[in-house]
Amino acid sequence: MEQTPPVVTVRFNRFLPYWAVFQTDMRQTLRGWTYRLWLLVTVLAAAGFLLYRVGVHNEAGIVRSAAAQSGDLFRLVVVGSLALVVVLAVSAVGAERGTVADSVLSRGISRHQYFLAKWHARLVVVVSTFAALGVAVLIASYFLFKSDAESDLTAAGGLTAVAVVAAALAVIVSWGVTIGALTNGTVLGITVFWVVLYGAGFALSWMPEPWPSPDRYLDRLRFVLRGEYQSAGLSNLMLGAAALSALAATVGVVGFSRRDV
Amino acid sequence: MQWGGPAVADDAELVVETQHLTKIYQNRQIALNDAALTVAPGCVLGLLGPNGAGKTTFLRLILGLHRPTAGWAKVFGRVMTPNAADLRRRIGYIPTNPQFPKGMTPITYLDYIARLFGLPADVRKPKLATLIRAVDLLPHSGDSIAHFSAGMTARLAVAASLLNDPDLLIWDEPTHGLDIEARRSMLELIKTLAAEKTLILSSHNLTDVDEVCNHAAVLNKGQLIFTGTLQDLKGRIRRNHYELDIDGEQKAITKCVAALRNLADFKQVLLRQRRLEIKLTDEVPNAALLAQLFGLLGENKVTVISVRTLGMQTEQAYLDLVEREESRGFARLYKDEAA
Repeated sequence: MEQTPPVVTVRFNRFLPYWAVFQTDMRQTLRGWTYRLWLLVTVLAAAGFLLYRVGVHNEAGIVRSAAAQSGDLFRLVVVGSLALVVVLAVSAVGAERGTVADSVLSRGISRHQYFLAKWHARLVVVVSTFAALGVAVLIASYFLFKSDAESDLTAAGGLTAVAVVAAALAVIVSWGVTIGALTNGTVLGITVFWVVLYGAGFALSWMPEPWPSPDRYLDRLRFVLRGEYQSAGLSNLMLGAAALSALAATVGVVGFSRRDV
Repeated sequence: MQWGGPAVADDAELVVETQHLTKIYQNRQIALNDAALTVAPGCVLGLLGPNGAGKTTFLRLILGLHRPTAGWAKVFGRVMTPNAADLRRRIGYIPTNPQFPKGMTPITYLDYIARLFGLPADVRKPKLATLIRAVDLLPHSGDSIAHFSAGMTARLAVAASLLNDPDLLIWDEPTHGLDIEARRSMLELIKTLAAEKTLILSSHNLTDVDEVCNHAAVLNKGQLIFTGTLQDLKGRIRRNHYELDIDGEQKAITKCVAALRNLADFKQVLLRQRRLEIKLTDEVPNAALLAQLFGLLGENKVTVISVRTLGMQTEQAYLDLVEREESRGFARLYKDEAA
């Protein structure tokens, strides 16, 4: 009697495509020249800034509070990082369109999963890298200026400052990935986002107090580093950042599902 | 038009079905215009057309990589959308120039693609190992794909397209850039796969289509100008078109040509060096006309070295079809009854 070959039913893992893109993008971002350049420039700039301040402190005897110096360094890192963070974010989806995305999106992955995986990967890379750099800067500042009578850094304040800036960067990454997914070219997306970010930042710095100004927020970091902040205000800021990121992701997911690749 | 498998197939059985499929890019370029076709299981369809005819656009619409401006494409009975991951899980696709993520080896790449299909480790690992062996990439399984030749890249793309054991294979120019040996292997593979899968092959190479496909669709400037079996396509070619290599005195040859040109049933008589190209009318049996031709050549002591029949190839049929379509001008607005 002939035996019918057994029917093998493969159970597909629905989250595996998301996880595959997430992992691959993380790995490739960490190996990419943009990320390495960002890391190198940031580390060198931070190290140079700290050494300069230590030199001024020790040789010229000019004493500034550790919180003020760390606040300046945070501002330098954020403003300096912005250009490359934008490149990292916009290129997440945009740079792959028509080439590698072809061989990925033609498989068993939905646009939703692809976009979310890319967004999450870039978010994790940028936020965790900045958090690590921020904590390293704070530790370095603490040890370099701890003998100073005016050393006023607090651990809670430092971590809060890192969290606030990371939240702001998360918003930038989220909108960057969305813009990259919705524009036809990476260069166009990067240019548009640079113009919007720097233009809006510049314009808002001229606006009176009730308006949110990145310049003023960065200036206030020194107080946060000292532990002088209102929890409610910062919570609102974090919630606002989360809402803006979620909005960016929603726009990106919906918009990318309606676009050609 | 419906091809492949049984003569009449239920809609539910169709592998691909498109209706009024139209793609206009940013209101600037009409890439595809009102394309309607169905592909039944077991069909091996050759998608033909000149550069820019809309072949790749058509395939990308079927895959959900592009969204149609109008119309729809159904795959396995369901409308294809960019989020229809479960439909694409049953398709194996090779793009024209496959691109691979940087820094990957065949093992890591195939593992990545298998994960994109949602295949669990106990299924994907043995499968990718089998495929790497099958496409002869075992000695290079740890090498970076970036250093692969065109042939190796093509073989890897084939392996990637078979990972999910698809029911439908969509291969865009699979023999593009391959050397003779690799091309031959690819064609043999297609023939083997054709026994159990439905295939859509886009190709410039009509010889390839002739060899492996049983159905053809011809696209020209975004319009589907022919759909049917390969035999139907060949049936449209011009008949009674011959080429003779001759030898003899030049005076005698010229005299023969002049005499042939005076005969009404010889529609075209062309002499290039010692090669005579003639087209006969369809009204009179060709045997009588050929007898007349050979008689004339014999009388003038012209030797016939060889005789060939022209236009019995897919290539000629295709060229005729495109030429006829072009010549119809504004009449293209109405469907060609002969098509």
